Amino acid sequence: MCKIKKPVMKISIVLIISCAAIVMSCTKNAETKVKSCCSKEKHTEALKELSGESVYNLSSTWTTQKAENLKLNHFRDKIMITAMIFTHCESACPRIVADMQHIESALTENERQQVSFLLISMDPQRDSPSRLTEFAEDHKLNANWTLICSTQDATMEIANVLGVKVKKLENGGFDHSNIIHVFDQQGVIVNQQIGFAVEQEETLTAIRKLIK
Amino acid sequence: MKIFLLILNSLLLISVSGQVNPQPAAMVKIRGGSYIPLYSKDIQKTEVKGFEMDIYPVTNSDFLAFVKSNPEWSKSKAKSIFADSSYLKQWNSDDSFNKKIAKSPVVNISWFAAKKYCECQGKRLPETAEWELAAKASETKADASKDPAFNQWVLNWVTKPSLSTLPSVGTTYKNFFGVYDLHGLVWEWTYDFNSALTTGESRGNTSLDNTLFCGGGSFASKDINNYASFMRFAMRSSVKAKYCVANLGFRCVK
Repeated sequence: MCKIKKPVMKISIVLIISCAAIVMSCTKNAETKVKSCCSKEKHTEALKELSGESVYNLSSTWTTQKAENLKLNHFRDKIMITAMIFTHCESACPRIVADMQHIESALTENERQQVSFLLISMDPQRDSPSRLTEFAEDHKLNANWTLICSTQDATMEIANVLGVKVKKLENGGFDHSNIIHVFDQQGVIVNQQIGFAVEQEETLTAIRKLIK
Repeated sequence: MKIFLLILNSLLLISVSGQVNPQPAAMVKIRGGSYIPLYSKDIQKTEVKGFEMDIYPVTNSDFLAFVKSNPEWSKSKAKSIFADSSYLKQWNSDDSFNKKIAKSPVVNISWFAAKKYCECQGKRLPETAEWELAAKASETKADASKDPAFNQWVLNWVTKPSLSTLPSVGTTYKNFFGVYDLHGLVWEWTYDFNSALTTGESRGNTSLDNTLFCGGGSFASKDINNYASFMRFAMRSSVKAKYCVANLGFRCVK
């Protein structure tokens, strides 16, 4: 009896898990339709005046912690403080976030109004809006922070635009670069702070140059 | 479920047959196998599933056909964030180049452009593990990584400067799987080239820094006699996705 039951159980568990994984993973939430890469993208037209160096030339769709879909140009006109993280990350990512929070607290109230914080997931398989919400709560991130995730392809693309190296590990985690990027109001990277707990003067100076 | 899969399948077929490329480049099957990454903590093999690989690297004329239907990827229009100023440097204009290089592998091509090209063929860039698995085949063996003559041949190529006019594709050797030019012509982009991490990163994970320094690095590597594999690792870790390099091309898989 056991012999018959067991495999059935296993299969159903596997099915449940894999279904859950599909529902939960970010890949599903972000644009899943088959890419018609050869058709011209409409938004290219709208972004005509955008600098060729702008991150907002990326046309990928992202899902936020509130399960809203957006394109990166949503953040246009703000000064963006950005980093790539994954929510299962135990040591490096919380430190990056802490460094970003330091930057946030060093800014004046007026400055903060022109700045937004963006965390980009490098783990499309395991991160989902609910995971991102949890992460935001755990780290007491306020409403000025957005956490986003997307498909594997979009993730790889942005990592390459930002120059972030990502190596998937057997245990599901990642080896990755630790970089805090500052985008100007047009999405051009104006500063990259590499590593943890480094002097933030340079980053703050870069931000303040952009404040109007 | 089955019906759903069937519908999905037919949708995929439609979308693939709807692609612009009239003559998709010929591909051959590469049987699955295992690949041991150059730097891995233990003897961790990466299992690679079977896949199909383009027989030849993508040529200048192949790429011209792509640019014609995707003008945003032409030499003058490509966004600088996706391709640096050397993009398609060997071309005379947006749609012309010296006839001599028509069948030469397209180089001065960024990762973004290569990735888009493959997408438009209904294909993708190979993972590093896939590329390495296919590339360890000599003319006669699926795995010639322990064959000194083959390794020496590959090494002879990588230590020689590239010719200013690259030879046509298909002029080096045909490997065990039927793939040409994996060594001997140009370096090739891989989808996950940016997973080749060098020092100073991943401080949260101690597995990395100590395995990558000079002496320690070479002993920690799994393939210390295969110098060419170090050179490929170095190439991958030194480029950025928008770089366009005179001897770096690509091919697609699916």
